[in-house]
Order: sequence, then structure tokens, then C-alpha cells
Amino acid sequence: MLEVAGRSKAALLALAIAALITIPLANSLYRVPIQVSDSLEPIVVAATAASTISLLKDSIAFSPTTLRPSRYLQARWLLALAESAKVTYTAVFRGVHVALLVVLVALFMLAVRVRDWTDLTAFSVAFLVLLGIHTFAAMLFEAFPVNHYAEVGACALAVFVLAQRAPRRYVPVVVCALLVAALSVIESGAMVWLAVVCCAAAGMPGIRRSTVISSTVLFGAYLLVRHQLGIVSPGIGGHGSGYGTTFYSAEELTQKFGAHPAGFMLYNVVGGLASLLFAEPRNGVYSLLISWREGEIHPVVTVNVLSSLATTILLLWYAARYLRTRRTDWSPPDRAFAAAAVILVANAALTAVYIKDEIISVGGLFYAVCTFIAVRALIASLPQRRVTLAWALCVFLAADAALWGFRVAGVHYQLRYDAFKTRNDWAEVLREDKRDDWPHDTRELAVTRRLQSEAIERRTTSPSFLPRRGDVYWVE
Amino acid sequence: MMRLLIAGPCIVLTAMSAWWTTGLAAGGGLWPPDDVTLAEAVATRNNAEALRVIQQGVDPNRPGRVRDGLLTNGYAVDVLPVEAAVAAQRADALRMLLANGAKVDDHELTVLRCLEQSRHDSGVRDILDERAAGEADCSGVQLPIDRPR
Repeated sequence: MLEVAGRSKAALLALAIAALITIPLANSLYRVPIQVSDSLEPIVVAATAASTISLLKDSIAFSPTTLRPSRYLQARWLLALAESAKVTYTAVFRGVHVALLVVLVALFMLAVRVRDWTDLTAFSVAFLVLLGIHTFAAMLFEAFPVNHYAEVGACALAVFVLAQRAPRRYVPVVVCALLVAALSVIESGAMVWLAVVCCAAAGMPGIRRSTVISSTVLFGAYLLVRHQLGIVSPGIGGHGSGYGTTFYSAEELTQKFGAHPAGFMLYNVVGGLASLLFAEPRNGVYSLLISWREGEIHPVVTVNVLSSLATTILLLWYAARYLRTRRTDWSPPDRAFAAAAVILVANAALTAVYIKDEIISVGGLFYAVCTFIAVRALIASLPQRRVTLAWALCVFLAADAALWGFRVAGVHYQLRYDAFKTRNDWAEVLREDKRDDWPHDTRELAVTRRLQSEAIERRTTSPSFLPRRGDVYWVE
Repeated sequence: MMRLLIAGPCIVLTAMSAWWTTGLAAGGGLWPPDDVTLAEAVATRNNAEALRVIQQGVDPNRPGRVRDGLLTNGYAVDVLPVEAAVAAQRADALRMLLANGAKVDDHELTVLRCLEQSRHDSGVRDILDERAAGEADCSGVQLPIDRPR
């Protein structure tokens, strides 16, 4: 994985496969209009701010628990871009989301570096895992108005790609820039710093001590700035989250766990890790427990759990087989696997207060990287195995890949559904029968009206015309 | 052969994706938006599409065809958009139509109230009850979603 990737047939074929699968996915993503929830408000705030500087200053005081200045700045820049390029707001905001999808796919390809047919076969499984895992889909479903989790994921993967290469002088600067970019959009940006530490700890060559020190100093400075600004970490009760078989509102969580939160936080961290490894729970709720109680298991749960379980078994096999030796004896793939696996586990810790798929989305990316390494090792070992066992393992891998492929197809379905819902939300904005509720600020009204008009003009598919059983197999 | 077996699902998905992309270039692709009448948009909970169609100048007081399987089983019907909203138990769509030019006269109000009695939706009933007091007399009223004779 450390050699320069040649333009082998396998590499070109991998590129073609990635492009062919990503193009319709990008189209499905592009069809989703800009959201009302989480997007309209920051866009309006960004559009009506007196200046960029005042927006930056004001954004610091928007929330006592978050510091996300770039969230509003990005919205303002993208609005300006739409105006100067004379294109729709939708084209710019949705275009950025599509660009993020392409960047994530490109970085994944750089991270796994397909060079030969064994790599290509492993890629054919791991790529489906990348796109099919629920945490990747979570990066596509929402935008705020840009999906910050996808931005953080891209920054963390970029660090990983740099870590695989030979050390360069510019790496500390690039890594620090990635860390600043990620932390300025969302607190999950801390994953970039964690990625640096994990890559260095695993002995990946591209991350030297200077990179670790500079990024750690920067991260420390970020925490200090937050402290100076009086921004505190969110506690339990800031968001709703699941527990057992029930999803509780923020108020209910405060009542239930506010006095003694440690147990709930442990539950969340374990749940976040389990969600990455076994596709359960989702948002803290265990559908399997509900199925057990009701005596009927939902097909989507079966598909998700079986595919994730089979893949996780592979990862555990790789860890047990190849990481038993001393760290100094690890091969480059072993180091990459170890770093990716620890990033994945560390990501689960960010779910301490509440669980949602987006928070563990970075972990999902590295889950796919680990899958590539493990599947590659398994395929490479097949010639040394008995023929019957080798064929059995092939069938196992093919069945697992088929389940993941099915999940990828489900992402299209869910994006259609998402587009339909999002567009319908706009029918409730600027209602003719509630003109008194319309914004009084002319700029705010103009922006809202334009966004609504663009969304309404963006035709979507009604679920009534989607496959009737789609919900059963693809929506949890 | 073994590698081909493992890569099989990815090959299938790639082929399907290529097909969808080709269809996309031809104006179709995977699950493209359907062409629907205003009444069909309402019947399929597609309020945004209904709003778009109205903004394009379609009269919300003209009946439109609703294909088989959306409001009825075994036959298509021609209904007013407000009738489609009541039949589909969509109070939000009914409210939106009324706010965007749909008119309901006394006869139509009776039809809608009788239709609501067969479909039962409290949100729809609240909107209709604002326009008429007492129980609707549904004797002899032909419901718009009944099979045409």
C-alpha cells in the first residue's frame, strides 16, 4: 500500500467501477432539495448579516454549547457564489454536497490503492461497504446547509492518506489546515486530531512527531478558545436519543438520566461502537430487541445486521491473525488496519451524550478501509487453503458483498424518499393562508421565497411510485 | 473464477448503475419523477408537486384523472383535487388547495362531507365542518370515487 500506484488494468477498472456506481448516486443526492430544517435558518442568517465579519462575530454567540463559525460563513460564501455565477442556490448547495461525495470516494480510493487483481476483488467488496453502511448514508441525507460530517470525514481520510505516504515537509501544515477546517464547522472535527494520533501510534510513516505536536497544540488552543468564550460541552438533555427499545426526547432523557448520567453515557459509547460493527442500535434504539418482543423481525434489520456481522467477523479475524505480533513487526497494511480500527473505536466515544448515525460517520469510512485490508488478506490466503474451504470463503464473501450491494441500492431509495419529504416541507413554508407568519425582513423574505421556488420546481418521485416493498427492505 | 464470484455483486451493481446512468442521459434513469395530474399529486401526498402544478396555471377546480391503485382499486377515476385530498385523507393538501384557489360550493361541500364519512379523517372533517354546520345528508349522493357505471 505504500508503493506508487501504477495505472494497472486493475486500478483503471476500480476507477471505472467507482465512477459508474457513484454517478447515479450523485444524481440521487443532487435531486434532494435544500432542506427547510437545519438549512433555511443558517442560510437566512448568512444572507441577512451586515458583513462577513459581523457574521463571524455573531456566530460565536449563537449557541452556548457549539462553536461552528464556518457553518454560517460557508453558507454566505456559497450564496455569494450562486449570485456571481448566476446559478440557483440549489445548484450550488447541492453541488457542494455532490462534490463532497466525490471527494470521499476519491479519498477512499487513494486510501486503499488498488494495484492488482487481488486488490480489485477486495475493493469490489469494500466499496460496497463504504457506500452501503448506514453512517455513510447519514452523510448524504442531511445538510446544515453543507454536510459538516462529510467535511470532517474527508479531512480525516485525507490525514489517513497522507499518513500512508512517505513523510513530506508540508504534511504538518496540511494536517493543521485540515484540523482547523474541520473544527470550525463542527465539534466532530476532533476526529481529525484523533486520526493524526492514531496514525502516528500505529507507526504509519507519513505522520511524524512534528505533525502530532503541531496538531495537538492546535487542538489544545481550540479547547482553550472554547473555554475562554464560555462554550461548554453539551450535556445530556441537549438532544433526544434512544435507550433500549425507546427513543426519548431531550426532556425525557434529562428526567431519566440527568442526575446520574454515567451509565447512560457508557450505554451510548458501547451503542455507537455496536452500531458501526453490527448496524445495531440505530440512534440508540435496538430494533432487534423490538423484533424479539414482537416476534417478528423487519427484513431491513436482518439485511443490515447480517452484512455488518459478517464483515465485522472478517475484521476480527484479521486483527487476531495479523496484529498479534509486536508493532515493529507490522506490515504497512497491518499499521493501516490498526490505525483505522482505533479511529473507528475512538469515534464511538463521541456518542457519549447522544447517538446518531452522523456522529459515527467518520468511523464508518474507516470501517470500509479496514474491510478492504481484511478482505484482501483473506483473498490472498485462499491459494494456501483447502479447495472446499477456499470456495466456502468465496461464497461467504460473495454473500456478504451481495447484502452490502443491496444496502447501496437502498441508499437510492432513501434519497428519493428524502427528496420527496424535503420538497414537501417547502409546501408548508410561506403558506398563503398564513401570510401573517411570513418574514417581515425583505431580504429574508426574498431568500426564503427563492429557496422555496427552487425546491418546488425540483420535481421528485412520490413514494407511491417507488417499489411497494421498498420500505420493508430499505428503511429502518 | 473465485475472484469473479466475490466481485459478482459489485459487477451486478456496476452494470445496474451504468444502466441507470444511461437512462439518466435519456431523461429517465432510476425512479424518475412521474408525470401526474393535480389530483394525482394530491392523492399521492405530493403537496409540493400540487403547488408547482397550480403555480404553472392549472385550475385547481378542474377534475383530473387519478390512475388505478391510488384512490381506488381496479379502476381509474376523474375527481376534483379537493375530492382527491378528502379521499386520500390529506387535511394538509385540502387546506393548501383551499388557500390556492380551490372553490367548494354547497353541493361540493356535501359531496366532500359524505366522502369524508366513508374515509374518516378528523383533520379533514375539522376543515369541512368550519364551512357547514350539522350532519350532511348523504342520501342519493354519488361519491366521486365510486366505480363509474
